[in-house]
Amino acid sequence: MTKTNDKLDIKIIQPSISSLLDDDIDSHALSPLSCLREFGTYWLLEFDLPLVNKKDIKVAFDENIISIEAKLKEIYSEEKLGIEMKFQYFKKTITLPKGINKTKIIAKFENGRLRIMIPKQISGERIKIN
Amino acid sequence: MKDSKLSKENILLVGFPSNGLVGTFSISYIVHYLGMKQIGEIEHPDLPPTLFVENGEILASIRIYKKDNLFVIISDLPFDPYRAYDFSESILRYCKSNDIKKIIVVSGMETINREPSTPKIYGLVTHQSFEEILYENQIPKFLTGSIFGTDATIITVFRKSKIPILILYAECHPFFPDPEASILAITTLAKILNVKVDTTDIKKKMERLRIQHRNLMDETVRTLQNQQEKAPTRTPQIYR
Repeated sequence: MTKTNDKLDIKIIQPSISSLLDDDIDSHALSPLSCLREFGTYWLLEFDLPLVNKKDIKVAFDENIISIEAKLKEIYSEEKLGIEMKFQYFKKTITLPKGINKTKIIAKFENGRLRIMIPKQISGERIKIN
Repeated sequence: MKDSKLSKENILLVGFPSNGLVGTFSISYIVHYLGMKQIGEIEHPDLPPTLFVENGEILASIRIYKKDNLFVIISDLPFDPYRAYDFSESILRYCKSNDIKKIIVVSGMETINREPSTPKIYGLVTHQSFEEILYENQIPKFLTGSIFGTDATIITVFRKSKIPILILYAECHPFFPDPEASILAITTLAKILNVKVDTTDIKKKMERLRIQHRNLMDETVRTLQNQQEKAPTRTPQIYR
């Protein structure tokens, strides 16, 4: 549940328990929203990282797994079920589809959104056109 | 302040979770900024059995607010197609029984590569009477594209009625909460309704709002994707 006493705030009410599912309370890490979209020649992987500076983002790539860790520029706290929880990081791991060109991955951070462009690998036997 | 025809007749604003949570953010902000009072709830037997408690007050997930001639229906739950139809029908019934003359729905429109800080807003109308309002407020018309989900259901239901509807589509990121697009929707709505709404507060809290509403966004995306799988995604090319 979003809770606020400020009359001018946005009040959208959500079940309290649901946001506990993906966040790692013990290591003070939030799970960021992310999306992976397929385009003709590439995949676009995006992470929503508000309250983060570019210099505090670490992106690691291993096999077909991308991991991100981003330190928040200030502590984010939320009250859930009467308990105040504090978060300092965003952390998430995403498994990528097969057939990607690992050498040409480009990442860009703008407006609190991390965009990672992952080109598809073009390989295989050439087909002759008659 | 100019005198608007809209300021004299009963107007209903509708917001529900959709792309970028634009509808829920903007309508919710208007409700709280204008100090509107809750006057009712909408129930449905198939809605998830969910009630919310805020400061000891029990709240339903679809609520009705009112202040002067302005009405609001807001939902905190995204709808599947079946519930979207019932929701739209119940809005229509509510309009008829409360002498609502016009409806404005606020929603988000997916953009892939929007430049930061420069979203645009478009209007889609069902009746001629709203065309003038678009023109007066310099809101470009939504000319081409496909609409699916709750927006499409509401438009379908109201097209057949005598009550005109305006859908404001703010460009947004479809899968992440987009308070910037919501601010544009709020200022556009304020202009149309001829009311003053200060968005300084929401601007200050933008980043925190994006974190706060991750779960609702996630739930909304799942519902929208479920609807999109059943809908055609391209405009027919017959006359191109």
